[in-house]
Amino acid sequence: MDLSLTDQQEMLKQAVDAFVSRDAPIETLIELQQTERGFSDDMWRTAGELGWLGMLIPEEYGGSDTGYTDAGVVFEALGKGPVPGPFFSTVLAGEIIKELGNDAQKENYLTRIANGSLIATLAMSEPDYQWGIAGVQLTPTEDGEDYILNGEKSFVYDGHAADLIITAVRTGSGDNDISLLLVDTSTPGVSARKLEGFTSSESSVTFENARIPKSALLGECCEITDGLHAALMRATPLLCAYQVGGAQSVFDLSVQYSRDRVQFGRPIGRFQFVQNHIVQLVIHLDSARWTTYEALWKMDTGRETEAAIHLAKAVTSDGYRQACDYGHEVHAGTGVVREYGLTLYTRQSRSLFHALGEPRYHRKQLAKLMPTLQLDDE
Amino acid sequence: MDFAPSYTPEQEAFRKEVRSWLDDHAPVIEGDQDSPENYAKFRQLGRDLGQQGWLRPTAPVEFGGGGMGFEETVVLYEEMSRRDLSIPPYYDSGGWLGGASILVWGSDEQKQALLPPIFKGDVVTWQLLTGPEAGSDLAGTQTDAVRDGDDYIVNGEKIYVGGSNGVDMLWTLTRTDPDGERHKNLSWFMIPADLPGITIRPMDLLGDGGEGVGSGVKNTVYFDNVRVPAERLVGGENNGWQVATTHLELEHGAGGSVARNLWFSRALEWARERRLNGRPLVEDSDAQDRLVEIYEKTEIQRLFGIRNFWMNRTHQAMTYEGPQSSYFRKLSGLDITTALHELFGPYALTNDEITDFSEGALDAYQRSAIVALHPGGTADVQKVLMARRIGMGRSEAERYKAGKTVE
Repeated sequence: MDLSLTDQQEMLKQAVDAFVSRDAPIETLIELQQTERGFSDDMWRTAGELGWLGMLIPEEYGGSDTGYTDAGVVFEALGKGPVPGPFFSTVLAGEIIKELGNDAQKENYLTRIANGSLIATLAMSEPDYQWGIAGVQLTPTEDGEDYILNGEKSFVYDGHAADLIITAVRTGSGDNDISLLLVDTSTPGVSARKLEGFTSSESSVTFENARIPKSALLGECCEITDGLHAALMRATPLLCAYQVGGAQSVFDLSVQYSRDRVQFGRPIGRFQFVQNHIVQLVIHLDSARWTTYEALWKMDTGRETEAAIHLAKAVTSDGYRQACDYGHEVHAGTGVVREYGLTLYTRQSRSLFHALGEPRYHRKQLAKLMPTLQLDDE
Repeated sequence: MDFAPSYTPEQEAFRKEVRSWLDDHAPVIEGDQDSPENYAKFRQLGRDLGQQGWLRPTAPVEFGGGGMGFEETVVLYEEMSRRDLSIPPYYDSGGWLGGASILVWGSDEQKQALLPPIFKGDVVTWQLLTGPEAGSDLAGTQTDAVRDGDDYIVNGEKIYVGGSNGVDMLWTLTRTDPDGERHKNLSWFMIPADLPGITIRPMDLLGDGGEGVGSGVKNTVYFDNVRVPAERLVGGENNGWQVATTHLELEHGAGGSVARNLWFSRALEWARERRLNGRPLVEDSDAQDRLVEIYEKTEIQRLFGIRNFWMNRTHQAMTYEGPQSSYFRKLSGLDITTALHELFGPYALTNDEITDFSEGALDAYQRSAIVALHPGGTADVQKVLMARRIGMGRSEAERYKAGKTVE
């Protein structure tokens, strides 16, 4: 048992921390949040150059093939920023292609993901919003060697910035008859519109008579649900790690504010009601942190992960959201001033609450495991 | 990062050794854990463990400890936990906390005299902190110890003490200077329980202390002009508050745990056995949701326990982690017992020999989850400690330091 980071993980953490404090301080991120693109291509390029996008990609495609915990450390440090950008979306796409792509597809896409020259994302949910396979109803029509797509994908993270959108479509009448299409966003008829609001990078992707060759099918048609599920599950704790980093920053800000803000003749952190907010905050933070890291460890060591990952996502999505709520209780008026920066995290906490399934979705999956759950007993 | 002990060849060999030893020495326990018959078995196990140096694995060998490193220690705790045995396998609050305090604060003579009987399992020790006048405000104790020649004369009343099945030594916080400044007038004594003037009387409480075997009953301990030799004062006269920081640090959860989360596995097993509308209860979606609630609480509790165990045994600097896990455990107890109500209905409340399917566990837990809110510091006190250790509203220099421990 050793809950410390390895030397390599420490180095990764320090490298990302240094990048964040140098290139992505709060002031910069506040400005970025108001741009149309919403993230910095320079930061994206840096991530590519430093190998952060290729951490889970095999060396034969130019990746470094480190473990999931290493990748988690990087995502946590990015989340502390909170550095915006299609980092997670692209890494998720990499996991899906790694799992389901044929050799040519892997060669084509994984190499470019690893070197940062491809922005990619997954499009699953639709206007009748529901996370999961059941929410995929978009059905292409067949025209010779091509599919024709008409319809909409909703709430696609980084859809507006992506070069490649892995699009889930329904290709048969059975519940699991889902296929994934590798859609190049320069294809005529494919357009994406970033959704403004209390959002991060969600977009609406519209298909209007978009012609997609059948060769763009990822893996085999109509047999991919297990592989998609596996890839989604493996990527999930990385998003959790990003959320943990954000919650950590909210904690740090709140503790510092409790020391700096003086009212009634003393720092407000001396008042027990204020203390209670931070107590609850740190419990959410540490619950998220340790369920996430145990899930990452289980993946790295080939253990059963289904329950651990659902647990981590439910706890973390709830935890980040509530951490921000408590942070706002501590900060009062100061916390809602845009240039203070707390709201960057609040916005992320709301947006990522939905990514890869809401807490209720994950708790429901856990619930369904109960009849057959095997308890760890090593 | 590694959430399980790494399986070095040495650890594997040690694990085999421990398992085989436990096959020979672990007692068969039937019926009430607290019965005199079972208690005697747990004590014998304690003495047997003490022979091996396994009753206090990381303590120095010269005092009867095992002098073991972290890697072996965690294997030992895991194997004991696997058989639902704790280390020590009986209630020994004073031995655990007093022993730790003596290791840090005791004189060499005191360590030689007081530690081996604890670490070898020969004596059971209770801690005596709370009095009618002083609970959360521990420093307000009015159990007085007045110097008289080579002795101190102790007078006072301590409550919520100990457990059942008797005691040998009393690790007691006293006030040695009633007129002195708060926090600077306290002293600790290791007092033999058979000294004249000591009376022990059981209290009548809601349930058991929830603290493990032998803690089924809490007691009032009266000191009526008890003459205690001065060499029993540990850590310096009027220095007791400093000594207390060691004691309380461990009591507030810093020591951590690698024990299994029994309540989820029990609830799951019973839900698979019980039936609803002709199907196993576990197939009902509401029941599944309750099980997920229990799972979540017990998993987070387990993870906080492991984190603290590792930090404590590898001597990481700890701040708020002890009280955080105590607070979480206390509050989750209420959440879990509520979920058990909703899962099993009024079965959660009865220990009737015929109706109850839980061998008394459900009824006992409903009570002990309530009782558990206060021992080792109330839930509120845990939050206050977290606030101080995190340094809320305090500069770094003012941050309240965690007590020094050697575990």
